[in-house]
Parts: sequence; C-alpha cells; structure tokens
Amino acid sequence: MTAVIFDGLVLGLQFGLLGVGLTVVYGMGGILNLAYGSIAVVAAVVMSVSMRAGLQAGPAVVLGILTAAGISLTLNSTVLKPVYRRRGEDRVLLSLLLTIGVAFIIDGLLVWRFPIEALGLNVGWEPVSIIGVRMRAGSLLASAITLLVGGSLIFFFRATTTGKAVRSVIQDEVGARLCGVNPAAVRTLIFALSGVLGGIFVATQAMTSPVPISAGFEFTITALLVTVVGGLGSIRGAFLAGLILGIVNAMSSFYIGSYITTIILLAAAALTIVLRPSGLFGERA
Amino acid sequence: MTTDDHTAEPTSATPTRAGTYRRESGQGAFLAIAATGIVLALVPIWIGDSRTLMGVAITGLLFASYAISFNLIFGSTNQLFLAVGALAGVGAYASTIASDRLGLPFPLTMVIAAGLSMLIGGAFSWIAVRRSLGIIFTGIVTLTFSLAFDNLLLGQRDFTGGETGIVVKAGSNTFLRQQIPPYYVFLSVVLIYLVGYVVLHRSHVGWAFRALRDDEVAAELTGVDVARYRIYAGAIGGGMLGFVGALWAHVEGFISPATFTFVHVDVPALVMLVFGGIGTVLGPVVGAAVFTYLGEVLASFSQLRLIADGVLLIVLFLLFPQGVVRALRSGVSGLRTRRRSQQ
Repeated sequence: MTAVIFDGLVLGLQFGLLGVGLTVVYGMGGILNLAYGSIAVVAAVVMSVSMRAGLQAGPAVVLGILTAAGISLTLNSTVLKPVYRRRGEDRVLLSLLLTIGVAFIIDGLLVWRFPIEALGLNVGWEPVSIIGVRMRAGSLLASAITLLVGGSLIFFFRATTTGKAVRSVIQDEVGARLCGVNPAAVRTLIFALSGVLGGIFVATQAMTSPVPISAGFEFTITALLVTVVGGLGSIRGAFLAGLILGIVNAMSSFYIGSYITTIILLAAAALTIVLRPSGLFGERA
Repeated sequence: MTTDDHTAEPTSATPTRAGTYRRESGQGAFLAIAATGIVLALVPIWIGDSRTLMGVAITGLLFASYAISFNLIFGSTNQLFLAVGALAGVGAYASTIASDRLGLPFPLTMVIAAGLSMLIGGAFSWIAVRRSLGIIFTGIVTLTFSLAFDNLLLGQRDFTGGETGIVVKAGSNTFLRQQIPPYYVFLSVVLIYLVGYVVLHRSHVGWAFRALRDDEVAAELTGVDVARYRIYAGAIGGGMLGFVGALWAHVEGFISPATFTFVHVDVPALVMLVFGGIGTVLGPVVGAAVFTYLGEVLASFSQLRLIADGVLLIVLFLLFPQGVVRALRSGVSGLRTRRRSQQ
C-alpha cells in the first residue's frame, strides 16, 4: 500500500512537471500546444542517439533538453506567428489545430527515421529503503530533480522580476504591455522554458522506465489532463493535479488494471471540466 | 427570395466568416447534390473491376459521411466534437454486439445504434450548454470521451475482442458483402445526409444555426433558444455518425478499435472538411474525394502519410481558413468580375 502510494507520488511529481510546461504556454499566450509531448520525445531521441554515439549521460541529457527548447522556440516564431493576430477562443482553436499538424509531422519523422529508438537512463545506485519501502534509486533521483525544478520554478515566478513580468502577461496582456513588459519577449522565454521542462520530464521518466518514440501523444494527453484539472495557467495547480492523478494512476493500475485506470483518469478530467471549469487553482476560465 | 442564384454569389472575396452557411436560394443546392450523386454513381464503371479500389471508394464515402456530420455539429453550431470516430464506433460496436450476441435483426440494430449515438451526441451538447463550456472545453471533454472509449474497447476483451477486433457476422450473405452494391448503399446515405443538411438549413433550425454561429449572445437576446438548437445539432450529428458507423460494420464484416481512433477518424475528417470548406454543402464530399484519391496515390509512401497529413493541416489552416474550394471559387469569380469591368 505504502509502496503504491510512493510510486504514485514519484509519477505524480513527473506529471506535474509535464503539466507545467503546457500550462505556462497556455496561460501566457492562449496557445494550446498539442505538439508538446512530441517535442519532449524528440529530446528523448536526441539523448538516446547521442549516448549511443559515445556521449556521457550528463551532456547527452543537456543536449536533448536544448534541442527541445530549440524546437519549441522555432514553433513559436514560425507556425504560431499568425496565431497571435487572433484573440480569445479563435486563438486557442487555431493554435490547437496547427500544433496537431506539427505533432503529426514530428511523430511521422520519428517513426520514419528512428522506428525502434527508446530512451532508458540507468541510475546505477543501490535501492534505498524509506520507512520500510525499498525505492529504486532512479525513482528517487527523478523525484529529487522534479522537486528541485518545481521549487526553482515557483521561486522564479514569485521572486524574480522576470518571473513577475511573465505572470503579468498571464494575467493581462494589454495591461502588461502598458507597464512596459514586452509580450513577445516573454513568449520567447516561456516557449524555451516549456521545451526545457519537456526535456527534463523525459529524462526523469527514463530513469524509471524506458521512453519509446510512440509516447508523444500520450504525454500530450497527460499534460492536457493535468493542466485542465489543475486549472489552465496555474503552476501550483499543475503540480497538485499531477500528484492527484499520479496517485490515482498508481492505485488503480495496481488494484484494477491499466485500461480502467486510463478511463478513470479521463473521467476525472472530464468531471473537473464540467463541475469546475476553472480547475482546482485556475483563474476564471 | 430571389430566383436567380448567380446574382447572389459573392462577386469578390467578401470577408465572410469561415463557417457561415451561405444561403443558396432556389434549387441550386439540390441541383448540385444531384450532379454530385450522378458523378459519384459513375465511379464503379471506372474502377468496378477491382475489389481493392471499390473498398477504397466505399471508405471515401464513409469519410464523406463523417465530414458531413461533423460539418453539421462544428460548422453549423460551433461545437468542436473531437469524438467523431468514437460516436461512429459506438454505433458500430452497439450494432454488432446487438445483432451477433443478442440475435436481433441487423437493420433494427442499426437503428438502435443510431439512437445510442444520438443520445450521446445530444448529451455532449447538453452538458456543454448547461455548463457553458466554450469551444475548447467542449473539444477537450469530447476528446476525453474518444480516448476513454478506445480504452474501453481495448479493455473489455470478452465483449469487443480487444485490440484484435471482432468479425461481424450479421450482414454476411447479403448484398452488403458484395463488391459493388455497398458502394451504392453508402452513396445513398451520403446523398440523404446532404439533402437533410440543406433541408435543415432552410428551415427555422437553419435560421437559428446561422444566428447562433454568428453571434451567440445576440442570438440569445433576440429569442433564439441557443441551448435547444445546439442540442439538436449534437443529437442529429451524433445519430448520423452512429448510423454510418453501424453500416460500415456490416459492410466491412470486421471492426477493431483502430478503425475509430481520434488519429484515424477525427483528424482526417477535420482536414477534409477544412479543405472543402467549413459550412458549405458539398465541401465535405469534395474534401473526402480529394483526400481519398491522394491517399491512394500516396499509398506506397505510407510512412510519409502522417507527415503529409501534418503539413497539409498546417498549410490549410494558415492559408485557406475558409476552405480551398471557397478560395478557388472566389478567386475565379474575382477574375470574372475583373474581366467584366475591363470590357
């Protein structure tokens, strides 16, 4: 029982990290980036390929993360450029449709060039025992990294001027512009951040179980569920929702089975939208 | 109502909103549907010898039906249902299970299937209206339904055969399993859907659809019961999807979860509709025809299919948000007016 909850927590933290990468982009620009999961998988492929080419794990991971950030930035400055001319729901809709297209292109390229690639990061330490539960070192390291990244994100958004500028754009784009914040610069920053978070996510994920190239769609959907349950645009919400969904996931896949688990998660997300459209921590939708 | 259709044609590229149904007066729309019917009815003369190609053509008509239904729900009332495949799948599985397990006659089970999908489609609209979910949240809720349905099919092996699918017994030994007749059955369905679409849009329902599509608040204020008409569209569109899904099950004789996934149904249907023009009568059919043909031509590059779909999706939405057909038509009529003004 305790072991299952621990597994859920580890998974939940990762879900939260994944969700944050999607939710900041949505909150900041009204862009629902459905290519997010696929971009994260590109990071995994880069890590895996460069490690096979003889690079150490550390530099390989960094290279993967930078690639994801680069793709994310490119997406922002090319395909999404015309999207910013729209407002409100039109903007979300167009971004959603265009990024589905981008996701298809990335997935298609990956299946074509790297059909059997999968990323696994082996953390070669002994399992550690915590209150009687033996935890794999990979899970612990992944959780530690996730907590560290999550903590620094919250610090960045609460305590630094740049972070506050980003939040001001999330709250009111026009108002922020009047105060001298440049929304385009903030967007660039946030898209880079989103790519980095996706990259860190696949690295931590690979410490517990291998990441196959087909995982992009699933990652995007998980991120979407976390984002929706937590409230679009809320970082705290994303982590909380991630933890809840992670624990539900671990419990029900242990006791009930994986197909029903997925249905339960999806139903939970749909119910949240229907009952509380702004999510757990969201601003009014 | 003017009798001459052509004077009502926009002579230049007037910035009509994508998706507003342009009322075509007179009998123009019905003539166009009849002409489409005749052209499509001649297709078996050309490819009737090949079982494979007839199968492709039937799939094309299936997708045309999907796109017409989706057009009614999304194009006419702005409800983004990302559950086109799932609603058709509900129909297909319901009809198969009811006929093969419960022993009901399969024409009856197709009606039951349509009814079930109708209920679900109506329920989506009802929830979306009651909880005033916007386009995006409606999209996400229906998408979660699609994914949950897929997992349900995969998980309930005893009923659905899981990943491997089920062989549909009902309908075998009938004309539905022959080479050419099912094509005409599907063609009739497409034509009936098209006529239904036009009739619906000429009634008071169509008037309400246009009002709520253009400005929901203004429509509500002038006394249009937005909730009711949204539910109409969701229920009718859902029923259309369920019926055509059930029909497909009995014609194809085999269904599996992969036949109805988001990636295999919703995305292509959306691309076809956008290509043909959201909110136009024949757009869905044109889109389905073009993409079915392209798919066949590019069949040997199946690995690149996903990439091509992605590129098309992006290009279409960026360059022709109102549909390629409409853009071409306004381009042609633009040329015509220019020439006329030069004379």
